[in-house]
Amino acid sequence: MEKSEDWRKLSRRQFLKASGAASAVMGSAGLGVFGYQAGKDSFSYTGCESFQGQAENFNRQRFAADHATYEKVGVASRVDARTEVIFSRVSSLMRQWDEEKGLDSLDKGLQAYYKKHPYDLKEDLHARKKIFPKRQKDEIKYKKKFVLAKAWSNAMSAVWPPGIRETPERYDFPRGEQYGEPVEPLKMKSPEKTSQLIKQISYQLGSTLVGITKLNPDWVYSYPMWGRGLNPELPLEIPGHWEYAIVIGTPMSWDPMYANPNYGTSFDAYAKSRIIAYRLIKFIRQLGYPARPHTPGVEYDLMVPPIAIDAGLGEQGRHGVMITPELGSNFRPAVVTTNIPMKTDKPIDFGVQDFCKTCRICAKNCPSRAIPMGDKEVVRGYRRYKINSSRCYNFWYSNLGNIGCRLCVTVCPYTRKSNWLHRTALEVTANDPSGMSQRILSKMQKSFYPAPHPQEYYIPSMGGKNESYREPPWWLQTEDFIDIDI
Amino acid sequence: MQFFTSGFFWFIEGIFLCLIIIGLKYWTEERNIPMPFWKWLVILIWILYSGFTIAFIGTCLGENEPAAALKGGMLFSLIAIVSAYGLSRLLGFFRLTRHQPK
Ligand code: SF4
Ligand code: SF4
Repeated sequence: MEKSEDWRKLSRRQFLKASGAASAVMGSAGLGVFGYQAGKDSFSYTGCESFQGQAENFNRQRFAADHATYEKVGVASRVDARTEVIFSRVSSLMRQWDEEKGLDSLDKGLQAYYKKHPYDLKEDLHARKKIFPKRQKDEIKYKKKFVLAKAWSNAMSAVWPPGIRETPERYDFPRGEQYGEPVEPLKMKSPEKTSQLIKQISYQLGSTLVGITKLNPDWVYSYPMWGRGLNPELPLEIPGHWEYAIVIGTPMSWDPMYANPNYGTSFDAYAKSRIIAYRLIKFIRQLGYPARPHTPGVEYDLMVPPIAIDAGLGEQGRHGVMITPELGSNFRPAVVTTNIPMKTDKPIDFGVQDFCKTCRICAKNCPSRAIPMGDKEVVRGYRRYKINSSRCYNFWYSNLGNIGCRLCVTVCPYTRKSNWLHRTALEVTANDPSGMSQRILSKMQKSFYPAPHPQEYYIPSMGGKNESYREPPWWLQTEDFIDIDI
Repeated sequence: MQFFTSGFFWFIEGIFLCLIIIGLKYWTEERNIPMPFWKWLVILIWILYSGFTIAFIGTCLGENEPAAALKGGMLFSLIAIVSAYGLSRLLGFFRLTRHQPK
């Protein structure tokens, strides 16, 4: 009897010990599979799944700061969009340049700009004389590889609300009863409630993040970029009703974005954000208030990133792009200017400035070397990293995948999936004032996540290999679907 | 949402953890190893760390980042193995004589 009790006791002990060992094995295996799922799961594609503003469970209120993390260090001046914005400058140069007359063939504004910035003239002429003609030849030779990527990008931008051709005084305001819009503004209960309402409507319209700020005049172009009903020859007087800025936006589709510079497209998110902005102005006008959309990449009269920073959506990184805690740099915004009274958001500080000091991953990976490795400089009265936009632009038109590059967005350690691993890393760096975790994690990034050499992103005729940061998704691999000689 | 990223999965993981601790308790009793509170705490931290290492490798593979899985996995596993050896000595796991249960 005693013996059998001993046996039972022993067997229970052995059983529990064995269960413990088996649990260790099964628990470990479970964690491995959990990790695999967490890495692969499409729910980890940041921000694509929500129309409720619940896409990301990041509590940004904790990081609210009294001042945005850019520094004002002198007298600010507004950007002259005709010359200081690369898109309008190069297109003017393309139209006006005459080889024989040289600088004299340009309008006075451009002449003055190029005299002051001879380096930009060199780069822009390089684009005009070399890059664009070469691109036409290269396209015949290499573009087949990107047939699906381009088809997809064009599909994403196929629905594109028409541009504005009227002045703010005419276009922005409600049109009256015959258009179903009130003549007088409706009396809103409080700025807090209006703010809440506008945000929820923006989420419902498909925006992933929304922020509201008072519009800082420093961020409005001094001359308009494309006109949009404004005379490009006249200074842009900021309309009185551009009092508030609502910043909305969406991320670019994950897998193509990870295969930048060739397979991603900015138009996927820009088109979505533009549609949201146009719907939002309709909503605001129905309340009787004026509203105007400003939608990159083509139609806007203000600098969007600093406005988004003021609205508390993120901080500016070394690469010049805004970094949000939820989506990293993978965010394509649009702005709606209005005067409906709203409670504004505070800017946030979650440690990006410290991280960027030591990280430099974007600068090392940039194919055109447009991102500085060194310190910030004073630009128009603000201290910031100065991007060489001419070099960046010239790379866009040197390679043949979807237009643009966005590689700096992709490689940034903040642009990572929304899973336990990267969320934890974000929490640690955001809450570590010593800067140690930032240094350790940026070192890990560099050694754990290898990337092609920057030169390899170029097309073969420029000494490259047409590389992408990561493999394109299966549905953009032309050769698997189309019988085509690549 | 899949089973392995669901709340139910974590419930089961919790049961596994309890079983590991019960098994370890019997194992240490058999060997007459005193187990004050701090030893359990240290063991729990090590288990969590090892869990992190495994989940890290899985996550990197799921993200199609084999280099991160390999390099990070090697680094974190090495730390786990070395610390397991150090801890087993510190906690006296292989020093005392085995106690035969009656
Ligand atoms: S978009 Fe490309 S070329 Fe331009 S700054 Fe970023 S990485 Fe460099
Ligand atoms: S890659 Fe690094 S340096 Fe560049 S913006 Fe991102 S965090 Fe800053």
